[in-house]
Amino acid sequence: MLIRLSGGEVIDPVNGKTSQRDVWIRDGVLIDIPEGETADQTHNVSGCIVMAGAIDIHSHIGGGNVNTARLLLPEYHAAHQPRPTNTPLSNAGWSTFRTGCLYAQMGFTTVVEPAMAPYTALHTHLELADIPIIDKATLAILGNDDFTLSLLRDGKSSAMIDDYVAWVVGSTRALGVKVINAGAAAAFKENVRSFSLDDVVPEYGVSSRKIVKSMQASVTRLGIPHPLHVHANNLGIAGSANTAAATIAATEGVPLHLAHLQFYGYGTEGKRKFSSEAARLAEAVNSNPDVTIDIGQVMFGQTVTISSDVMRQFAALGNASPKKTVIFDGDGNGGGGIVPYRYKQDYYGSIQWAVGLELFLLVTDPWRVFFTTDHPNGAPFTAYPELFELLMSSAARDAKCTELNASALELTTLASIRREYNLEEIAIMTRAAPAKLLGLKDRGHLGAGAIADVAVYRKGKDIAKMFREAALVFKNGDLVVKNGKVMHYRWGKTLRLNPPPDKAMAKRMNAYHEERYGLSLDWFTFPDSAIQRDEPFAEVSCNS
Amino acid sequence: MSVAWIGSQPVSLTDAIQNAVKLLASSRCPVFSLDTDVHGTRSAIALATILGGAYDHTMGRLLANEIALITDHGGMFTTPGEVRRRSSLIVLVGEVPVFHHELLQTWANSKPDLGDKHSRHWFHVAGAETNSLDSKLLRPMKAVPVGGENLSLNATLAVLRAQLQNRQTVSTLSNIDRFKSALTAAQFPVFVFSGGSVETAGLVMLQDLIADLNKKGRASSLFLPADDDAWGSALTSLWMTGFPPRTGFINSLPSYDPVRWDVQRMLREKEADLHVWVSTREGETSPKGGKARLISLSRTDAPTAGAMITIAVGKAGIDHDGVAYSSRIGTFGFVQAMAPSHLPSVSNIIRQLADALPGKKEFAC
Ligand SMILES: [Zn+2]
Repeated sequence: MLIRLSGGEVIDPVNGKTSQRDVWIRDGVLIDIPEGETADQTHNVSGCIVMAGAIDIHSHIGGGNVNTARLLLPEYHAAHQPRPTNTPLSNAGWSTFRTGCLYAQMGFTTVVEPAMAPYTALHTHLELADIPIIDKATLAILGNDDFTLSLLRDGKSSAMIDDYVAWVVGSTRALGVKVINAGAAAAFKENVRSFSLDDVVPEYGVSSRKIVKSMQASVTRLGIPHPLHVHANNLGIAGSANTAAATIAATEGVPLHLAHLQFYGYGTEGKRKFSSEAARLAEAVNSNPDVTIDIGQVMFGQTVTISSDVMRQFAALGNASPKKTVIFDGDGNGGGGIVPYRYKQDYYGSIQWAVGLELFLLVTDPWRVFFTTDHPNGAPFTAYPELFELLMSSAARDAKCTELNASALELTTLASIRREYNLEEIAIMTRAAPAKLLGLKDRGHLGAGAIADVAVYRKGKDIAKMFREAALVFKNGDLVVKNGKVMHYRWGKTLRLNPPPDKAMAKRMNAYHEERYGLSLDWFTFPDSAIQRDEPFAEVSCNS
Repeated sequence: MSVAWIGSQPVSLTDAIQNAVKLLASSRCPVFSLDTDVHGTRSAIALATILGGAYDHTMGRLLANEIALITDHGGMFTTPGEVRRRSSLIVLVGEVPVFHHELLQTWANSKPDLGDKHSRHWFHVAGAETNSLDSKLLRPMKAVPVGGENLSLNATLAVLRAQLQNRQTVSTLSNIDRFKSALTAAQFPVFVFSGGSVETAGLVMLQDLIADLNKKGRASSLFLPADDDAWGSALTSLWMTGFPPRTGFINSLPSYDPVRWDVQRMLREKEADLHVWVSTREGETSPKGGKARLISLSRTDAPTAGAMITIAVGKAGIDHDGVAYSSRIGTFGFVQAMAPSHLPSVSNIIRQLADALPGKKEFAC
């Protein structure tokens, strides 16, 4: 099948300047203009912009905690619908099926679930396999389990740590590794209520810093393309900017990704002792090339916070709205908390909203700042179109600011920032840079040889509308969305690394589970066939 | 050996599928009763999504009680693995279904290796209606009873909560001082409960009690489902449609309503005209009565009484591989066929039904 997209404005910063040119697809792959051939299918996309399919590096779309949130809040679905609400989807449930469709309609073709607890990997993959159209991937959580903490306490060799990390990544079919408030979940089980970078986990005497540094080094040694993904300590707390700054300073020449930095952008200024430190953090990011960040932008309205940072979620119970919550002390790296929350346009909400935008606009390199709301923690991903508009239009920001708390905004630099993202920067931030960050060489751009994940948007004054309803979306060359509506279901793959398991480590793991859980390792592992879809996984290679 | 019947007549599988499809396609309101593994549940819900109607679990009433704890309240929970490794004080609340007793026994035979690492102590909070723990597996634990004369379990939990807050209560509880000092000594006490023997109000009271304990120290609860497969179906339903069972479809969009989509009620009140019964549980058959036509997918070697069509299906973990919720690990596990047989899986049969439906439909499995 030969497909031609003719006459569009192609925005593909990896392969050159924006220009009007045709894009050709043969059998699911992008190709150079084939001389003397006629397309089987031609789409006139003049008046449209053409980009690679977008990639979301951090969105909680499936797994135990997400599913518990569904159970806690059957009434929440209304918050998850596209905004504004007068669309045919206004009653849509918050299911795996809607997740795939809603992402595809916005031109997203790959999404990473960033918090897979290793022991619930099968559950996570079952859910991801039921998300249609798009490709998925997961990050395995490490750093709170007894095995890791014991290795660090006992001063075991870096080779042994690497074998363990590789075994977890391989057996859980992950694309990378994440630490979440490293050590805090283990400490919380021993009734520790606050935990910072240099605090130590009781019983193990290992600091959070030591866990982060060990995992960061191991990920790098193993050639895992995505740098260690760090959910730092003290999320959401006034003064957390100091923790974030200390974490940024701790990269020491090795790559590290800091997740949802917005939630750490808070100082202690002002009458309410809650202020923006975004400018300082943006400067720290700008001057440290080792670090990449995503934002976790807050948008106003009802949402639910879902996090494996169980200590933080326990501390936030009092803010739940509505007043029902789940706190889960899981195995090792599992567990977390589900706390519904409504972001109000009050003092606190206004600070959070502004901090996110300040970070987006003050971090200068679009290759190092990533577009997320930490779905659904800052806002459901269905709020993305409005967020694109805020980034691309200072007038849209000014208009929103008039509705918000003025004394809060005074403690931010937002009003003074006139930067507007252009489409090339959007394409870098949501396509090219995520592909590079995750080690996905086959996507994120429109060059020959890339898979044909293509999003076409009708150019218009209304930026949010443009990004909410893609004119056309192709996934691996299949036309899946037309005029913002899903035309065709297909089943994407879950992208994974497959480092070869070390035999001694596999044996050790079996002995450990027999001894500590009284169960053989078979209880915790599964074959690909357990997913019951044709080839549910696709392998991504590690750096050599 | 036959695997398909129309009425009581053995027929080929193809004939049975074709006739079942006719019933499905002409139904105004089909309802599904489910009791199968994850993949069977996935496929049945995908079929219900296409056809409309509603689905429920065969143990819908029990499951609704367990679901209501979370949809109405929430709580603090932990896993069987954490209990084994970290909890030196285990408090059984109400009755624990017999199939969980082996799990409890494995804790009795091991010592915590994390946290306070003390030897385990056992208590049992019981109401007047609670059966005693007289099973052979539970007797060696010598669980200390906590309860009051003629108090229901709900009332016992209310009094217990008040006494732990040092509030005055009319009733007293047996062994309360012993229980208080055990709580003080333990770093990570866990209350073990099942939805089968505690009403939702009692479960909420228990969670409030645990919340109190967490103000200064740590405590949690372990939920042991009244039935593992039923709980697995609830979890599967949640991601498939966004809702737990007792979900129906209005204009092909799912809606959750534990009263409206109670399939047994719908059948009794003649709101449904076709009942699709999907159960791989040995010896389970559809309840009789009602006027709706019946399609039965059962683990059987004979036609189901009253069914227009019966198709025999296998069970995951016995006849074929599958995925099932396991309360031993608190999540889904892969189950390998123990005695592979000729019986087709539920998902295999339902896919054939979906493929044979008239008109092009997007089948999600
Ligand atoms: Zn997150």
